[in-house]
Amino acid sequence: MPEAAVKRVEIKSAERLRALMRDYFLDLDAAAASDERRVAWCTSVGPCEILSAFGFATYFPENHGALLGARRLSHELIPRAAGIGYCPESCSYMNSDIGCALSGRSPLRDVYGIEGPPKPDLLVYSTNQCREVQDWFEFFGRREGVPSLGIRPPRHLGEVTPEHVALVRRELVDLIGQIEGRFGLVLDSDRLEEAVRLSSRASALWGEVLATARARPAPLTFWDGAVHMAPVVLMRGSRAAIDYYETLLSEMCQRVTSGAGAVPRERWRIYWEGMPIWPRLRELSEKFQSLRASVVASTYCNSWAFAPYAGGDPLEWMARTSIEIFINRDEVTKQAFLVDMVRRFEIDGVIFHNARTCPNNTNSRFGMPQRLREGLELPVLVIDGDLSDLRFFSTAQTMTNLEAFVEQLEGGAR
Amino acid sequence: MSEPLFAGVDAGSSATKCVLVDAAGRCLGHGIAPSGFDYAIAADQALNRALDAAGAKRDRIERCVSTGYGRERVEQATRRVTEITCHARGAFEWYPQARTIVDIGGQDTKVIRLNAHGHTADYRMNAKCAAGTGTFLESIAVRLALPLSEIDGLAMRSTGRLVMNSYCTVFTSTEVLERIKEGQPHEEIAMGLFRAIASRVAEMMSARDGAVAATGGVVTHCRAMVKALEEVLGVGVLLPPLPQHAGAFGAALLAMKPDDAEPAPRSLSLEVIRPC
Ligand code: SF4
Repeated sequence: MPEAAVKRVEIKSAERLRALMRDYFLDLDAAAASDERRVAWCTSVGPCEILSAFGFATYFPENHGALLGARRLSHELIPRAAGIGYCPESCSYMNSDIGCALSGRSPLRDVYGIEGPPKPDLLVYSTNQCREVQDWFEFFGRREGVPSLGIRPPRHLGEVTPEHVALVRRELVDLIGQIEGRFGLVLDSDRLEEAVRLSSRASALWGEVLATARARPAPLTFWDGAVHMAPVVLMRGSRAAIDYYETLLSEMCQRVTSGAGAVPRERWRIYWEGMPIWPRLRELSEKFQSLRASVVASTYCNSWAFAPYAGGDPLEWMARTSIEIFINRDEVTKQAFLVDMVRRFEIDGVIFHNARTCPNNTNSRFGMPQRLREGLELPVLVIDGDLSDLRFFSTAQTMTNLEAFVEQLEGGAR
Repeated sequence: MSEPLFAGVDAGSSATKCVLVDAAGRCLGHGIAPSGFDYAIAADQALNRALDAAGAKRDRIERCVSTGYGRERVEQATRRVTEITCHARGAFEWYPQARTIVDIGGQDTKVIRLNAHGHTADYRMNAKCAAGTGTFLESIAVRLALPLSEIDGLAMRSTGRLVMNSYCTVFTSTEVLERIKEGQPHEEIAMGLFRAIASRVAEMMSARDGAVAATGGVVTHCRAMVKALEEVLGVGVLLPPLPQHAGAFGAALLAMKPDDAEPAPRSLSLEVIRPC
């Protein structure tokens, strides 16, 4: 067995990612401080290309929510939000972020040396992922005295029809009109097309990076993906994201060629359905590694791998993309996607994360695990937890569950 | 030279159990000790008791598998296996016809589905709250200032259908007070608690076909638990000879086999979507 297959080799691009993230946050901070530039906040699968085309520096509060989770600050912050009436069982990103604003101290200071999230001039959401983002943004709209605008696409779609796309496109046109009216701007259609092209390219490259995990051993896991997806979320529509993913893709291809697996001596290939458990990302990654189980694919990381833009009307691409995403589909479409992923990545077992404060990114509540187990004759496990709030997570119980899952796989392999 | 023995130690949240088997898988002795603060000490005590019962010396133990919440702390262990696999193995040895194993322990409740070979096909553990576990009963017993055995005795006299809420231990304590205030007979309240646990178990069952076997401390000490399970699940429940030791028994049986040889690797396709 080659040396690379038995020892974990760290991903070299991580260094570059850190620099890229620092530049991104410093630029946001500079934009917020400047009189000439404007800052917009956007949801993670929202219409950020329009904001780029208008020249807004774009910030994504969900990323801050994940950072608060990863830094294990949610338990201090959620009660602050609960104190002003936000249910502690609602989205823990939202509650942590609101709590953070109320506490006046963000970990962005320690990580990037900036005071906190950049002060917004505009907030733009899309409820294609959930309604929580609308309430979250409206909190900040009231607090900062800035407009909170949004689109509300049709939800939980089976087939995406031309009528659905046309409806969302009209919402986007309306949104553009509102931004133009409020800020005295005119959208440059060439800039919009350029932003869409860049966005689509970054997204396609990201999809290719994830697809390298079809190799045995997989060169990266879900745990790596949860970190390396930052540019496709935060910098979609920029050249920087494309450059980054070109580098990362070439590194992943080299790893495939040299047989360097993200999990040394990979034995089991797992699919992760649902959100990461940010405060326990490292422990979980180590646990899977010790079990020689590689989480080679996930719904979450694939959520930013969009269908490519092949020219034509950029708004139509945006409209279609925003409603075609997994989170916005019905159970039948979701199940077909999962079955396809299981086959393409040669998955041995599927783990569903029941994130207690995000029903939107949780797919274990309507019988899907049972249907997959029976349909694919694969072991399927549901674990309870949350994206940020550790009150919903038991480390000991989860670790036992994961070990038992691998024992179950071993039982099947005997 | 005396025959080798194989040990299984189940370091559970309240009690640590040990079972010794011979090379034919026959149980030769078992022991139990309170888990207390230190699983290593508890494991030692349980092991000594099992050795005494078997009339054997420690040096006859060839391999030891530990399981349970404190499995990492059992120093004698040559391998560690989760309680899910061990309970399944132990219960299946006693009842090869069992397809569902319900283990109600101090800290958690597990429902394990087995295939015809005794391999785990599916399993679920209770959600984070103690509701539906032995701790749930213990905390209510403290609240009522009654030993658990008395609650069990009361419940066995019930003839009614009262079911208590089982969502949360605190809510249930409040409900117990409400029922007392209403003047509900004590035996009905007591049985309602066991039914509450049984309903939680019912929610965790993915399939209802095949025989059901129950293991763990609660069914060992409370006959009312078995009665409630039978009532709520609508089937007869098999109770093994040593229900509380099922995990340790399964661990001992697993210790009989040397560490698993790895299955043959599957084809190493270096297939990638994109030519690199
Ligand atoms: S999708 Fe879930 S985690 Fe994301 S903002 Fe909505 S509720 Fe929160």
